[in-house]
Amino acid sequence: MEQQPQQKKSIKHILFEIYDKKYKKLLIIPFLILLFSLAQISYQIYSTGDFIKRDVSLKGGVTVTIPLDKNVNIVQAQKQIAQQFPKNDVIVRSLRSTGTNVGVIVEADIDGTNKVQVQNLLSAISTSLSIDLSKINYGIEIIGSSLGASFFRESLIALAVAFLFMGLVVLIYFRTFVPSVAVIVAAFSDIVFSLAMINIMGVRVGTAGIAAFLMLIGYSVDTDILLTVRVLKRREGTVMDRIISSIKTGMTETMTAMVAVLVAMFVTQSEVIRQIMIILFVGLIADIFNTWIQNVGLLRMHIEKKAKKGIII
Amino acid sequence: MNHKLKKLITSWRVIVLFVFIVISLVAIHPTLSKGVAIRNILANSPASDAGIPQPKPTTLPVSRERIISINNVPISNVDDYYNYISKLSPNRTIQVKTTKSIYKLTTREKFETVELNETEEKEIQETIQKNTTINGTTQIINETIAKTIVVPKTRQVSQGTEDLGFRIYDAPTTNIRKGLDLQGGTRVLLQPEVKLNSYDLSILIDNMKERLNVYGLSDIVIRDAGDLSGNQYIVVEIAGATEEELKDLLAKQGKFEAKIGNKTVFRGGQDIVYVARSANEAGIDPNSGCGASGSQWFCRFRFAITITQYAAQRQADATKDLAVVYDSTTRRSDYLSDKIEFYLDDKKVDELNIGSDLKGQAVTQIAISGSGVGNNQQEAVFNSLQNMKRLQTILITGSLPVKLNIVKTDAISPVLGEGFVSNAMLMSLLAILSVAIVLGIRYRKLIIAIPILITMLSEVIILLGVAAFIGWNIDLAAIAGILVAIGTGVDDQIVITDETLKGETSNVYNWKEKVKRAFVIIMLAYATVVVAMIPLIFAGAGLLKGFAITTIIGVTIGVFITRPAYSTFVEIMLK
Repeated sequence: MEQQPQQKKSIKHILFEIYDKKYKKLLIIPFLILLFSLAQISYQIYSTGDFIKRDVSLKGGVTVTIPLDKNVNIVQAQKQIAQQFPKNDVIVRSLRSTGTNVGVIVEADIDGTNKVQVQNLLSAISTSLSIDLSKINYGIEIIGSSLGASFFRESLIALAVAFLFMGLVVLIYFRTFVPSVAVIVAAFSDIVFSLAMINIMGVRVGTAGIAAFLMLIGYSVDTDILLTVRVLKRREGTVMDRIISSIKTGMTETMTAMVAVLVAMFVTQSEVIRQIMIILFVGLIADIFNTWIQNVGLLRMHIEKKAKKGIII
Repeated sequence: MNHKLKKLITSWRVIVLFVFIVISLVAIHPTLSKGVAIRNILANSPASDAGIPQPKPTTLPVSRERIISINNVPISNVDDYYNYISKLSPNRTIQVKTTKSIYKLTTREKFETVELNETEEKEIQETIQKNTTINGTTQIINETIAKTIVVPKTRQVSQGTEDLGFRIYDAPTTNIRKGLDLQGGTRVLLQPEVKLNSYDLSILIDNMKERLNVYGLSDIVIRDAGDLSGNQYIVVEIAGATEEELKDLLAKQGKFEAKIGNKTVFRGGQDIVYVARSANEAGIDPNSGCGASGSQWFCRFRFAITITQYAAQRQADATKDLAVVYDSTTRRSDYLSDKIEFYLDDKKVDELNIGSDLKGQAVTQIAISGSGVGNNQQEAVFNSLQNMKRLQTILITGSLPVKLNIVKTDAISPVLGEGFVSNAMLMSLLAILSVAIVLGIRYRKLIIAIPILITMLSEVIILLGVAAFIGWNIDLAAIAGILVAIGTGVDDQIVITDETLKGETSNVYNWKEKVKRAFVIIMLAYATVVVAMIPLIFAGAGLLKGFAITTIIGVTIGVFITRPAYSTFVEIMLK
């Protein structure tokens, strides 16, 4: 019975040994993951022409406008139509004019020129709203994206500049090149890994998802800056002691965020919030290995190189 | 303990936090308001005839004029209002009680003119211009002649009671303005008069976005659409704009031309370098101001623009051959023989005399003027400023490549669903609570978990207060920004706690030093996030801008207001 904790301790010890001594080899893990993520995104672009699976708000699709004078339970209708259209993204909204309901709008990301799909959507709508569409003068429109065509190009440029600026701030403070690159690479890896995972999970990304990916910048920076300041600017203990103390603080940060995200994910009834939370959760997982393996590894290599030149940090 | 508490509440950092929370609550101004708020009064409607003032868009949501009762029947929501007015019959006087006053309105009958299949003969008076010779010289005179024409017979069909002219919405309970995706808005379906190719269509959409942005309506979604029979549409969803504004801004092409004689001197858009919009360069003309004429009031506005050198040269060419006019009453030669005339969509909006000193001069500074009409002075001022804003928008953005027809306008429910806000609130509360539990487990001290909980809540309150104060729309992007601010806020409090508690045993550093060390990490992370957000503000699309600005405001509040208060708390309570 007494051997159990002994053995457990030794596993912990071995893991620590690996983490301490083999940090260069460990670096392979986050970079392999980064490579894999980039490969997934390239594959996604190659096979679908797009780096994410866009939802109806970003991609557009078909809008069916149905004039109706009765009150409709929008939430229920949306659920029912979505059930009959499991592969597509459906949004149902109500139209009102001078205080009375005048109709509903159903948006779905189907191909508007495909008659079979349009017909399927129409029959799904008529069963869920329990109406006979042949007696109603409904309208079908093929609708474009809610964000302009230039949105993705503009955002990518803005993001590139944002990463550059982040690196510059870190560079100005620490006056060395490696930490600023490490912070940029970590934030970039977090976002790219989440993108790839979201693609694999088949989650459709809308405007909310884009906001969530941007939120990762803020959370990513917090742990990376904490680590970099403690390792490069503090003098107490060994470098490893400072890393371990950063992990304690940093993992508390990540854990609180993860618990909040999980609670939100299970409590919410809103698909939009769930989408944000899934992306944040994946991003927070990515941040764990990108900070504590990737960023730590890069920083330690930097310190070792300096030590060889006779500068001890 | 008592001594510590006293020290805590007298610490200036805690007082600053407290003051900010109070100010924020005042700005948010939660109320249980009765009635329905007036969004807009239609022109020439029973409501505007009764002298009900047009609400100003800058009025805070909770201080908007609200209808409380009609004929002493309480109106508590939009459904009550429409239920009651649907029962009104024409030509009756009704009493509308609002939060500001009691108005008497007279309902009108609504007629539709229907053309019948028969025709009838009708005699009309027509004025024609005629060249005649009087005393040997040719002159133009007006002559009125009677003429018989054949017109289709018409019949007036009663359509019930005319709309009272109120555009209303459920009374807001706070000053926080909700965005399009949370509140819903107006969905407008527009059809271009000429079919456009995809390149022209994207230019048109960009131009419309810019026009609405200049006008101050940034919460918009513009999408292209088409039906199966090949018709082309543009769908605009917009929050906070009235039907009239939308018609003026979107359905009209907005072709602005300045002419001297019959020559076009400059046009809106490409010929304009700069349009003055600051309060001292643009507004009601202080020299002519407002005046009454009969029952109507008129106001004149003026603002300066700068035109291109090329356009200035065209102006010089147009004025160089004009004669200087001698005015016999003032005995001065102030003006040239032709005026500069401003045309909007081929309709003359104003004309100005050209000073004689400008003859043949290539000047790039031009004063633009126009006017507005209203039932009283206040309304005339409002309308002329509104006209000015529209003219400025058109001068800046130029005309739309085609004319658009409004096919229909409807109010649309929000894309995020009606229950989103209350659901999001419940979720945030549970998330905040769970964070506190995690921290309670980690530090095993309630005295750390509870203050972090309080700090998170106060950050939410202050952020919403700032949003209410500056009139910022809370939409999905803003909510994401708030989540970043709160999340990084918790991170920072963990850093403060760890940095200060960790050194307890070593005691190498004194307390001030420890807090300072925590703030090094916090400030660097803060600076990094802020600079990362700046490029996103300029990325054009509203989504990124809203996110970036809320994030910057949020983390700034955290770093400068709530973080110092928390560190003071830790210092006093745990030292």
